[in-house]
Amino acid sequence: MNSGHIVFEDVSKFYGEILGVNKVNVSIPPGITSLVGPNGSGKTTLMNLMTGLVRPTRGRIDVLGCRTDDAERLFKILGYATQYDSFPKGLTGFQFLNGYLRLAEGKARTAEELAWRAIERVGLTESAQRPIASYSKGMRQRIRLAQALAHDPQVLVLDEPLNGLDPLARAEMIALFRSAAAERRYVIISSHILHEVDVISDQVILLSNGYVVAEGEIRAVREEIQEHPTQILIRCNRPREFAAEILRSESTIEVSIHSDERGVLLKTRDADGFYLRLNQIALDGIEVESVTPADDDVLSVYEYLIGNEEVVR
Amino acid sequence: MIGTYWRQIRAVIRLEIKKTFFARRGLWIYAVAILPVLLFVAFVIATAHHRQRSAEFARASDHRLSAQDLRAIKTGMTQEEVFALLGKPARVTRWNEQRWTEGGHRFVVPHDNYTYSDGQDDLYLKMADGKVVFVFVSEAENVGQSLIMFAGVFQFFFLRLAVFFGCLGVFMNLFRGEILDRSLHFYFLAPIRREVLVAGKFLAGLLATSAIFVTSELLQTIVFLWHFTPPARDTYLYSNHGLDHAASYLGITILACIGYGAFFLVAGILFRNPILPAAAILIWEAINPFLPAVLKQISVIYYLKSLCPIEIPAPPGMPALLALLVSQSDPLSAPVAVLGLTAVALLALCISGSRVRSMEINYTTE
Repeated sequence: MNSGHIVFEDVSKFYGEILGVNKVNVSIPPGITSLVGPNGSGKTTLMNLMTGLVRPTRGRIDVLGCRTDDAERLFKILGYATQYDSFPKGLTGFQFLNGYLRLAEGKARTAEELAWRAIERVGLTESAQRPIASYSKGMRQRIRLAQALAHDPQVLVLDEPLNGLDPLARAEMIALFRSAAAERRYVIISSHILHEVDVISDQVILLSNGYVVAEGEIRAVREEIQEHPTQILIRCNRPREFAAEILRSESTIEVSIHSDERGVLLKTRDADGFYLRLNQIALDGIEVESVTPADDDVLSVYEYLIGNEEVVR
Repeated sequence: MIGTYWRQIRAVIRLEIKKTFFARRGLWIYAVAILPVLLFVAFVIATAHHRQRSAEFARASDHRLSAQDLRAIKTGMTQEEVFALLGKPARVTRWNEQRWTEGGHRFVVPHDNYTYSDGQDDLYLKMADGKVVFVFVSEAENVGQSLIMFAGVFQFFFLRLAVFFGCLGVFMNLFRGEILDRSLHFYFLAPIRREVLVAGKFLAGLLATSAIFVTSELLQTIVFLWHFTPPARDTYLYSNHGLDHAASYLGITILACIGYGAFFLVAGILFRNPILPAAAILIWEAINPFLPAVLKQISVIYYLKSLCPIEIPAPPGMPALLALLVSQSDPLSAPVAVLGLTAVALLALCISGSRVRSMEINYTTE
């Protein structure tokens, strides 16, 4: 097993006769990895498997060299913000975090310091001494994130972490995830809000009906789908000439002139071939201002792979 | 490593203890614990009332009587003999019985009920046709009887009902309650061995139940001792093992919390519905005297009964089968009983630890 990755080896999970996930083989590198899929696709099951909250029916999971049934070691390097919106009764935000850290750290003063630091990171300092029962949904989400972050873990597993947060808090959280990824930590996020993960993810794991249908960098996943045409928007000074030029290629499926007459929307089966040809076209005198992939966001990939299942935009 | 585990156990206890003591759904446990205390308070009030009445009877008598005087009366004595010994009674009630001869003639038999008292014990006499037909001496202070009554309340009410159901309420909820509240994952996301979590939760439950029921038992003892006259109380406490008895009852209460706590902890982990296992354990404990020797040992009451300082005699005339429920047929020595109970509790805790270790969080199935 690669102790530098989070590795799923032929992992299946069945709840009785109901399929959770099946035959999952993935290796998650450092950075931000998004689990994307509609409700019931297996995102939470995959996260619960990764954190030992459920045990695989088959297969093995290795989190940076730790077994998932070894909570004592696992949760020293991993923090998990679950989607369960419930807390031990009667605790304030601070007591909740401090109690968790006393279990983890032991020393009272260290636990207290870490608790306050985590509370500060999620912007709950003023509400920390209030009972969690009086928190809004967004505040509860933030205190869950604080629990996951509090002991500064190497792996952050966050189930729908941006749910219920206002735009400012979302931006702050995304910045937090990015800074963690920049420190070569593992940030695993699940979401069914695709445009969010598209913006922040380094890798994506696409799930459907308990199966991993694609994994890797978003662009790489897109490129692996050879049969599916890539759409590229090319901004240039002579779009009609550009269109005529690229229509000569056999891999070109469709070319349309942009409505503002300053660009071309190309649909091709061979993106790499197009980029090579583009250099030649530029040398022939057409001034190319920009070349932008028009559909290698998660949504496009997801729609292509999974079809008409529920996708929240 | 042991130091880390102990620190984590203390952290779990800190988190659990407030919940266990002040849970709204656990308030009935306090009511169950206070009931036997109220029972003894009622007993003390009744005893005080009895003494007051005896004193009034003694004052109303025209002779100053002693305990020997009261016990000198036998059935068959005439009214004159009774009056000669005791004087006029403090209280007299009369009624007439109508009888018929074989020839169909009606005649009247006068009945008198006399009450005498020496200020503590009361003598009740039934006279028919001028002769004593029934004698009963009601002793205000029968230490032996009182101790058996206390032992009876302890064994049949306090241990088998109050502590039993109190432990059910606390220990069954340690895991089951958190599954229902969907908050168990909080513990499962901490770097703590699940066996350590089981130990921490069990100790938190034990602290709570011991505090509640030991306090109850202590109050019961204090209130019970209150009903004795000061000389009788001192004699019992300092010359007749009273302090040892009190210490034994407190110790047995703690052991009951350990035993029932371990049973209900494992039941709360294994079963979703607490009613069924609770009923099963209650029946199992009740039929313990009828079980084969090996099965008897897998219970709590078997060991606790052996530790009780006062044996409760089966009332005369009780069927042998029922008498078995009351008496301990094959008592164990105290060390063996304590070790046996500890072993059974440890076994239950090991099963709990093993089940929790493989427990999954899947609230939707609950």
